[in-house]
Amino acid sequence: MSRKRLLISVAAALLLAIGATACMSDTETVTQTVTVGETTAGESSSGKTVTIIASVPPTDHGWLGAISKNAQAAADKFDDVDFELVQAADADSQAQQIEQAIAKKPDVIVVLPQDGAALTPVAQKAQRAGIPVVNIDRLFTAPDAATATILGDNYQIGVLAATYIGDQLKCQGNVVEIQGLAGISVTTDRTKGFTDTLKKKCPGGGIKIVASQPGDFNPDKGLTVMENILQAQNSIDAVYTHDDDMAQGVVQAIRNAGRDDDMFLTGVGGSQDAMKQIKAGGLYRATFLYNPNMAATAVNMARLIALGQGFGELVPPEVPRMLVVPAAVVTKDNVTKYEKYAFN
Amino acid sequence: MTTPAQTSEPGRGAALAQRVRTLELQEYALAIVVVLLFVVGAILKPDTFPTWDNVRNMLTQASVVGVLAIGMTFVIATAGIDLSVGSMVAAAGVFGGILVGSDGTSSLIFILGAIAFATFLGSVNATAVAYGRVVPFIATLAMFSVARGLALLLNDQLPVSLLDLNGGSFGDPRPFSLLWFGNGRIGGIPVSVYVFIAIAVIGWIVLNRTRYGRYVVAVGGNREAARIAGVPVRRIIFSVYVLSGFLAGISAVLLCARLGSASPVSGNLYELDAIGAVVIGGTALAGGRATIVGTFLGVLTFALIFSLMTQLNLSTEIQQVTKGLIVLGAVLLQRPEARY
Amino acid sequence: MTKVLEVRNLVKEFPGVKALKGVDLDVLEAEVHCLLGPNGAGKSTLIKCVSGAVEPTSGEILFMGEPLPAGDPAGSLKRGVATIYQELDLVPDLSVAESIFLAHEPRRGPLLVLDKMYRESEALLARLGHESIPVRAKVGKLRPAAQQIVSIARALSGNVRLLIMDEPSAILDEAEISTLFDVVRRLTAEGVGVVYISHRLDEIRRIGDRVTVLADGRTTASGLPATTPTGELVELMVGRKVEQLYPDRPVGTDRVLLEVRGARRLPAVRGVSLQVNAGEVVGLGGLVGSGRTELLSLIYGLDQLEEGEILVEGKRLRSGGPRNAIRRGLGMAPEDRKSQALVLDWSETKNVTITDLKRFSHVLLDVRKERESARTQLRALNTVPDDPDRVVRLLSGGNQQKVVLARWLLHGCRVLLLDEPTRGVDIATKAEIYRIIGNLAESGLGVLVVSSELEELAHICTRVLVMRDGEIVAEVDGKDATEHELLRHAVAPTDAPVLVEEVV
Repeated sequence: MSRKRLLISVAAALLLAIGATACMSDTETVTQTVTVGETTAGESSSGKTVTIIASVPPTDHGWLGAISKNAQAAADKFDDVDFELVQAADADSQAQQIEQAIAKKPDVIVVLPQDGAALTPVAQKAQRAGIPVVNIDRLFTAPDAATATILGDNYQIGVLAATYIGDQLKCQGNVVEIQGLAGISVTTDRTKGFTDTLKKKCPGGGIKIVASQPGDFNPDKGLTVMENILQAQNSIDAVYTHDDDMAQGVVQAIRNAGRDDDMFLTGVGGSQDAMKQIKAGGLYRATFLYNPNMAATAVNMARLIALGQGFGELVPPEVPRMLVVPAAVVTKDNVTKYEKYAFN
Repeated sequence: MTTPAQTSEPGRGAALAQRVRTLELQEYALAIVVVLLFVVGAILKPDTFPTWDNVRNMLTQASVVGVLAIGMTFVIATAGIDLSVGSMVAAAGVFGGILVGSDGTSSLIFILGAIAFATFLGSVNATAVAYGRVVPFIATLAMFSVARGLALLLNDQLPVSLLDLNGGSFGDPRPFSLLWFGNGRIGGIPVSVYVFIAIAVIGWIVLNRTRYGRYVVAVGGNREAARIAGVPVRRIIFSVYVLSGFLAGISAVLLCARLGSASPVSGNLYELDAIGAVVIGGTALAGGRATIVGTFLGVLTFALIFSLMTQLNLSTEIQQVTKGLIVLGAVLLQRPEARY
Repeated sequence: MTKVLEVRNLVKEFPGVKALKGVDLDVLEAEVHCLLGPNGAGKSTLIKCVSGAVEPTSGEILFMGEPLPAGDPAGSLKRGVATIYQELDLVPDLSVAESIFLAHEPRRGPLLVLDKMYRESEALLARLGHESIPVRAKVGKLRPAAQQIVSIARALSGNVRLLIMDEPSAILDEAEISTLFDVVRRLTAEGVGVVYISHRLDEIRRIGDRVTVLADGRTTASGLPATTPTGELVELMVGRKVEQLYPDRPVGTDRVLLEVRGARRLPAVRGVSLQVNAGEVVGLGGLVGSGRTELLSLIYGLDQLEEGEILVEGKRLRSGGPRNAIRRGLGMAPEDRKSQALVLDWSETKNVTITDLKRFSHVLLDVRKERESARTQLRALNTVPDDPDRVVRLLSGGNQQKVVLARWLLHGCRVLLLDEPTRGVDIATKAEIYRIIGNLAESGLGVLVVSSELEELAHICTRVLVMRDGEIVAEVDGKDATEHELLRHAVAPTDAPVLVEEVV
């Protein structure tokens, strides 16, 4: 990383850290950035048309579906943006689609890679061809693969979850982890944040992770995996799941076994179903916001990069190299605040 | 161990008798694997594995794929294959869900709708293979994609909540309401297990004791000979894909009943588990030899492996390697001619 | 005269079964020595011992006076023992020359000397009188008869002194068989000893010098002259008196069961009309490619007629595939039992009942009744062994054929179409099948038989129709039919054997 970029990313991180400590205003900061972007756009809407091609994995998951919708909605707000969204079936076909996108010579390419490592080479190819790449959520594995990156803080989610669960259980109890899709950065980060924090927060070893199995972000996998774990474990106090959609299956398994009074569950994402259940109270106690609105931010960033502009707040105004969207804990106490950001 | 009977001369007495005996041995081989897995589980987790509760749990988990596997047995018996059953399960569930509507409470509409839709998709496969002369692999591969797309399309990629289809009583679903099929019990045994076993028994009877079943195996065993002997080959081939679709509909009902929702991403790769169960059970991929008992045991094998490995909390990588090795072992135990 | 091969008291035991229990055989230089015996007698095992594919348990095999290295096929080949199996072991994609010299190509260092290979191949083929076979053509494109010649040339390329031929005439028609016999005579003229295995007694007489008969792993007669009467030979094979090979010729009635009018389907069938009456056995003879099998397919509904019509008992048979034909009373035993008639993994019972399952099913199949009915039919045909659960793959060719016939007997049909019913069937079972056909005719059926063995047609048919190039060129009354007469009609005046199917 060049020094200039380092300075800018530190500046951006500081900016957001200030927002994060205020806790309540995280999303507002992000929203504000969007507003800034809009006014900037207003100044130069008479200018050139910006072509943006966005490549996302198949939207067979609520969160990914929301990503696509938000990206499209953000692009629609501008009249100088020519936007094309392509969905891929898997990592290989996504690589091919990006290759085709390169040939079309857009101004910017936005990518949420099915697999960050697998798609790094093609992203580097785009960058070398002079097309800037904006990376969403799942990280590429080389620094020169993207001009700007926006992602949720998966590690932080793990941290927040461990903190919440540790507090609720008073550092004593059995915990089950239902992970996401094995092998991708999202999953490994959420697990690592969780386990690291538990070690620090509850050093006595009072909290034991008695089972940790992947649920593939899929509700029926979540159902069957949880059923088996319920068989194997007589005493479970809390369940940390990596995803709200998947958690629906986990919840069903717990309810079917009649053990919903014995434990509580946390999810990730911020889906409407999750918020509803948190509001109602009971088994589903918390979720950690992982807002698919980052896609809208990504499109805005892409546009700014194409227009050669930046974020007004930064001096000099540039598009930050990395934007980390912090998570927030959503519980019964504050759910009404976050409801409007919930996705399907 | 090579049999020396390479000549076509008959009356090889003992050598042949042994070959006939090994025919039965191969079905026993899988039963041995099932027992072995159970014993291993009982040893490694003596408090939780060998319990009635766990057996119930495994059988319930087995029923969704099990129903699919029974249908797959018929398809593979004709030397065909159906790669689309998992996607059809998802599509059928979502279709049933939107039919019922967001406020609906009619379990009957859901069940009939899901089954009808899946049967319809199965008939599309059937038409392509039997009359369009499309190779089964390709035809059902296309449906694999199309059905998945439909599942996502029908409700805008969203799952449909079905928690209200409980016959009016939340928490204790009324008999024959949708959720009852998932969580209800008769005599302590989950309803879905009854459904699975009933379908397996009916499947056995049809395959082994009806004219239709005999025709199915004949078509796979020697299609040309079957034709010349007067078997209505095309009609038989058509029917097995419709049957596969029909059973996918039933499987969708069971799955949605357990989940309490119809999810467009469910059924992922179920076809591989179904095909795997059928093949390790002893039904020949090349057709002509089919066994429902084998499929049943194959389904149990997979359910046992999954349950055991999850309960042992093995990491994904180890799970995948172990599952592959067990499947390989089960196949190797079969006599050479049965392997393909 | 030098003995090329001497086999003394050869015994071969496999685990559980004694295939050879003491076999003696003598083959002289320049003679054609025929080996006769029913299936299971041990002919194949004997051949495998001599060629080195299998190691004998005890006994002696002397080749040119020297013991042959046991269990060493390459060694035997080098010494000069060559074997031509029924399933010619040729690679379809290699050229003729490459096949002839496979594994011992002329080389200079590591490189092949191609023109030497081509020249020598041509020379070898000329020795056999077949210089017309192009040495560069791919083996897969040749007619089976020509492929066989290539196999023989391959044997010659290794300086063969003993050539063993296992049922070479099974894949040939009459004209090709005559050609083959010429080749064999050329070989013996060069001093090669030939062991010729065949089921066809007429061939033994034509080409053989001496005969050895095997039965049940033993030599029952050795070195008999080829002129020994058929009855005696059959008795030696079967171990009992077989009254006669052929039953009485069926006479036939006037009631027309099957009528074919102007049937046409190019390119194989060019306008055929015929008639089969109740009580008749009508033969359909001709060379390979004359369209006989295709005609049967048209009658049975496997192919669609382009022109013409088929009438069964006076009523027109509409096209509807085999199911329709079966409903109207036709039955068919196809040419290749294994690939077209039987489900090899199934039991005898299931193969017998497949056409007639309706009889046993009232919702569910009555498996016991099914088995009993099948057993009755199989017993009536004297199927060996008497075990309706035996998997059909394990049966001999003759018994497999009986299973197919039992199927139609069970179902009960009016006209039976048989395509090469005795191909690959041993003598004793052949006699039984002839009797079965005769009985069927007597009980009122009409039978239409396609066969390449003109001798057989000449003996069992009421009348014989001869086909050539898709048309019927002659009708010969059974009483007047001889093999020679039928062949005369089957072969066009200027027929040279066609060897290559495609011009390369």
